[in-house]
Amino acid sequence: MVSLTINGKLVQAKEDEMLLAVIQRMGIDVPATCHHKAVEPFGACRLCTVEITRPEWDGWTKHVTSCLYPVEEGLVVSTHTPQVIELRKTILDLQLARSPKARYIQDLAAQYGIMRTSFEEVPDGNDCILCALCTRVCDEMGFRAISTVNRGHGKEVAPPLHEAPPDCVGCLACAQICPTNFIKYTDNGDIRTIWDKTFEMLKCEQTGQPTITRAFAEYLTKHRGIPENYFKLGDLKHRHETAATMGRVALWERQEKV
Amino acid sequence: MRARFYVNPILCTGCRTCELACSFTHSIGGKPGRSRIYPLPGGAPDLWVPVTCLQCDDPACAKSCLVNAITRNAETGAMDLDQEKCVRCMACIAACPFGCSLFDSFHNLVIKCDLCVGDPACAHFCPTKALRYEPVAVPVKRSA
Repeated sequence: MVSLTINGKLVQAKEDEMLLAVIQRMGIDVPATCHHKAVEPFGACRLCTVEITRPEWDGWTKHVTSCLYPVEEGLVVSTHTPQVIELRKTILDLQLARSPKARYIQDLAAQYGIMRTSFEEVPDGNDCILCALCTRVCDEMGFRAISTVNRGHGKEVAPPLHEAPPDCVGCLACAQICPTNFIKYTDNGDIRTIWDKTFEMLKCEQTGQPTITRAFAEYLTKHRGIPENYFKLGDLKHRHETAATMGRVALWERQEKV
Repeated sequence: MRARFYVNPILCTGCRTCELACSFTHSIGGKPGRSRIYPLPGGAPDLWVPVTCLQCDDPACAKSCLVNAITRNAETGAMDLDQEKCVRCMACIAACPFGCSLFDSFHNLVIKCDLCVGDPACAHFCPTKALRYEPVAVPVKRSA
C-alpha cells in the first residue's frame, strides 16, 4: 500500500493502481472520455489531466494524465486547479468544434461552462471523438477487426481497407462502448449489419428468440470451449428447461424418501 | 465459501415473493420483469421451481466473457458481474445453459444473481423457506 494526498485528503492505494482509479474511488468527478475499465488506459482524451507535486519539488508542479500515471508514495495531487480546469476547457472546446452534435460532449462541455465552441466548427465533423474505445475493446476481445486509420485531420476508425472486416463476428461491443453512439448497426432479429458486414442471427429453436450471431457462437465454441448445443435455445427456454429438470429431480427425491 | 444458497422446489408455492424481493432490492420501482430469480412451473401440477443463477463450478458465462467481467467473489462464492467492465456483447446470456444471465433492456444492462453480496433478499422473504441461505458448518469436499 502507498499513501498519497488527493485534494488535501490522505488516501491509501494499491501499488499497481493508476491515479484515476483512486480519484474515481474517492468520488471526485474527473472527466475521462477514453477510459473504460475493460480496456487498458490509453491517454487519448487528456481530460483526466491533474496537477501533481511533491513536498521536495519547491512548489514546482507537473500536469499528467491520471489514467496513465501510477500512484507514488507521498504524491500530492490536485484535480481542479485553475490551470487544469482551463486545460480541460480548451480540450472540450476543441472537441465541440469537431463533434458539435454529440450530446455526450455537449453535456460535458456544459459542465465546464462551454455552451458553444469558440473555434470554427469542422465542416465535415462527426460524432466520433476518436477515443479509440471501440478499437481497443475489439483488440481486448481478441478480434482486432477495426482500427484507427490515417493521422492528423484524416484520422478515423475503420475496418481494413474500408471493406467488410473479415475478423468481425458482429458482437456489437464497439457500438455498445461508443460514448457518442457514432457506430451504427442494424438488427432486425434475422440479420445484423455492422461495418457493412451482414451476420446471420442464431435463434432459439423453440421460441425463435434471437440470441447472438452465428459467427460469434462459432468463435466461442472454438476458442472458449463452450459446447455448441448451449446455443440451441434462448435464455427463456433454458430457464424453463432448468425448472423442468429440477422439478423432476425434486419429485424423484420425494418419492425416494416416502 | 461460508454459506450456501439452497433451493427446495417441493416447498415452493409459486407466490413470486422472491421475484418482488429481488427486483425491489436491485432496481428502483420493483418491476418483476427485472428480477434475477423466476419461479417457473416444474413439470407437475403445483410444482414450482425458483430458477436463479446456480453459481456453477465451471461457469460458461465466465468462460464466454472475453473481457473477464465475470469473476468468482471469494467471500460469497458467487459469480460477480462487474458492470463497469461489461461491454454488453451478450455472450454470457447466449452461453449460459441454465438461462440465468439476464438482459435488462430498460437500463441496457446484463444482470445476474450476485447473492446480494452475501445476504440474499429472496431467502429472507420466502414464506415457506423454499429458498434458504445457510452457513456451511463443515467445508464440503466435492467428490470427483
